[in-house]
Amino acid sequence: MLHTARLEIQDISKSFEGAKVLDAVDLQIGPGQVLGLIGENGAGKSTLLNILTGIVQPDRGTLLLDANPFNPTSYAEAARQGVSRVFQEQALIPTLRVYENLFLSHEARFSRFRQIMRQREMIDLAQGIVDNAGLGIDVRKPTSVYSFSKRQLLEIVRACLVPVDLLGIAHPIILLDEPTASLDKADEQIFFRLLERLRAQASFVFVSHRLSEVLELSDAIVVLKDGRVVKRLEAGEADERLLHSLMVGREQRSDYYHEAEQQGSQRPVVLEARELCGDGFSDVGLAVHEGEVLGIGGLLNSGKSELGKGLMGITPTRSGHVRMHGGDWLQPEISASLAAGCGYIPAERLVEGIVADFPVTWNMSMAGDDRFCSSLGIWKTKEEKNVAERMIAELKIRSAAPLLACRKLSGGNQQKVVLARWLCRDVRLLVLDNPTRGVDAGAKEEIYATIRQLTASGVAVILITDELLELIGMSDRIGIMQQGRLTTIVDAAPQSKPTEVEMIGLMLPGEQDLSERRAA
Amino acid sequence: MSEQKASAVSGGTPSAAPGPASSLSASLRTGAWLPVAVVVALFVFFSLMTPSFLTMRNATGLLGQASTLLIACLGGSFVILMGSIDLSVGAMVLMSGAATVVALNFGDIGAFALLFAVLLGTALGTLNGAIFAFGRIPSFVVTLGTLSIFTGAAWQLLEGRALRFDSNVFEMLAIGQLVPRVPNIALFAIAGWGLMTWVGLKTRFGRYMYSIGGGEAVARIVGLPVRRYQVYAFALSGAMAGLAGALATARLGAAGPTLGQDLLLNSLAAIVVGGTSLAGGVGGVHRTLIGVLIIAFLDNGLNLMGVNQYTQMVIKGLVVVIAVLISQDRGRNFIIK
Repeated sequence: MLHTARLEIQDISKSFEGAKVLDAVDLQIGPGQVLGLIGENGAGKSTLLNILTGIVQPDRGTLLLDANPFNPTSYAEAARQGVSRVFQEQALIPTLRVYENLFLSHEARFSRFRQIMRQREMIDLAQGIVDNAGLGIDVRKPTSVYSFSKRQLLEIVRACLVPVDLLGIAHPIILLDEPTASLDKADEQIFFRLLERLRAQASFVFVSHRLSEVLELSDAIVVLKDGRVVKRLEAGEADERLLHSLMVGREQRSDYYHEAEQQGSQRPVVLEARELCGDGFSDVGLAVHEGEVLGIGGLLNSGKSELGKGLMGITPTRSGHVRMHGGDWLQPEISASLAAGCGYIPAERLVEGIVADFPVTWNMSMAGDDRFCSSLGIWKTKEEKNVAERMIAELKIRSAAPLLACRKLSGGNQQKVVLARWLCRDVRLLVLDNPTRGVDAGAKEEIYATIRQLTASGVAVILITDELLELIGMSDRIGIMQQGRLTTIVDAAPQSKPTEVEMIGLMLPGEQDLSERRAA
Repeated sequence: MSEQKASAVSGGTPSAAPGPASSLSASLRTGAWLPVAVVVALFVFFSLMTPSFLTMRNATGLLGQASTLLIACLGGSFVILMGSIDLSVGAMVLMSGAATVVALNFGDIGAFALLFAVLLGTALGTLNGAIFAFGRIPSFVVTLGTLSIFTGAAWQLLEGRALRFDSNVFEMLAIGQLVPRVPNIALFAIAGWGLMTWVGLKTRFGRYMYSIGGGEAVARIVGLPVRRYQVYAFALSGAMAGLAGALATARLGAAGPTLGQDLLLNSLAAIVVGGTSLAGGVGGVHRTLIGVLIIAFLDNGLNLMGVNQYTQMVIKGLVVVIAVLISQDRGRNFIIK
């Protein structure tokens, strides 16, 4: 192994709205090295990748590329210098042909008079690159004819070989952000072989939640936690158990989640679901009780969020039924859910939660019920303002005034506005999808306290979350989803909380002993 | 200025902050003041340039012209406010105008012709809305299609020529002067504008229009009956076009093939220049009055100055583009990551 680092990260720090996301991070990546980067959601992985690719600028610290200062201010600039990235979302244009996608933004190299393309040359070169990678793809076909995982491989090839062949960069650095999350088994093998082959020509930073893959592929593994590098391990000295404990090994404070205030699951059922099927989930049966927090956990794409929207009737379900307060079994329907006192808080706050340009009042009153209008449809503007003032005080929504645009509030305060939308209504069940995502620590604690207050007054809560500690700390019971199915429901009473390692074990697919643990 | 401030506080300008100072600065930033300034500037300019502009006779004529445009825009403002577009307003005006004359010639229904036109317009608008909301076709395409359908059908009805009617009662609805020197059509327009402003700012329908335009995804998530209200908005647009069609016909004494032709450009121009964003969620009917005044002043004043028709078109187009260019809030394109 060479000891001259290709890319060196020194003392990088970054804060968003006062919350430290990266704190004095140091890293070195050598040529031909595969560096595994792991950590929980929110550990700072994405921000680090964003900094390396010029999408976000660090507050402090230096980046060195071949010992020269490297301060990209845009993704294009980073890519020109040889740092490119495969994004979680695909960045291929499906209607273009494969070779056109491969050379997207590099067309100038193949043109005469800047406009007329030398297509033959493009196709030959592209086919050579793809064959070299062993993909078995005809570059003249439209990109959309290939499967999602094939396209994912194409993206990796584009990120890796195009800089080498077109820009003449000897050793590009490729950042892979969960590249295998959407690959099927066969293509996963192709991906592993591809990575092995490309290793001679490039360096990789490999981010994944699948620890076994990270162990298999990486030369070195860096564990990130709360924005700091906890440990750097050489490939030989790590195993899955060690990585787990390093990732989550923070002391768990039971009072942080007010575990003593858990209400348990003995009171009457508020919502039941039976054999519910929809896009992304199937055959789900569950019941949530008054005052209970039912946590829903699972890997990304396990169907958690889809289930939340399906239960509320926000997205149409295919089959199966729900019933509220022991009433009739019905297909979920949003207007019925509202009438029965259900509220839903989406994960994508700025897209689905609030209208950023609208004032606090409007965002709070926005729901398809008659809370703020008379039977004749006349809007109660005064009531709206009074309620907003009350909620701002009650939830301590800082720097908010009723008529201030929500855009001007921080993430945490925006989320409180969304909470207030349902708190000012007589809500009996609240479905929360990642309610503390992108929320600063202070607001987080306040949101937890609010949830406890709600359950104390008998409100049932379904808490869908990617944050393990939150899932374990807040829930009375935890449902685990795997590939769209609710496979397990685990008890999480205050004195007998499951551990994070146990949780991850339950979430990972393909473990045989799961069926034995399945609860009735 | 006080009117502008009042509308900001009552929710007309959603981004307005509390307190007079910050409210004013917010209005300045979003460019809400600009259309008002343009109206004043045009008024002063034409008053100085041509002596016949500031006369009672011209004011009466101007009111008649502006009223048809304002009524036709009242419903369309809601459609644009909710992020869609209705290109067929002019065609619905033509269609209902033509049908009203035919109906009047069939039997003298007098003032009921007005009701007939409104109902017909509502039906046409509901058709637009239903195809848009349930067929999930962009409103631009739907109303481009119905623009052609309604126009063709109306020309068929008129057999390509201007049809006169003979009903004094109906005629007086528009040109009678309940208030001296003010044609009745202007009373319809002002009353209609007041009512729609109230609907926009004080009712559930109005709030839902803002919500759907400002964040359709959020509106769906919180359970607003989005599609139903989309149909309502197009139905309202049709109803107002029907009213405008009948009153314009009454004012002119006939319905001809060119009725409503200038409304395609003028209605969209008035709404957008007034400050309702084509992206939806910003603006409102109350602003459309200003846009209508701008368009009407331009049409009228340039005519009086003897500017030729072609140059007028160029100037009007420039004013529309420049006004929107300056007043649109580019900050909205900023994406918070």
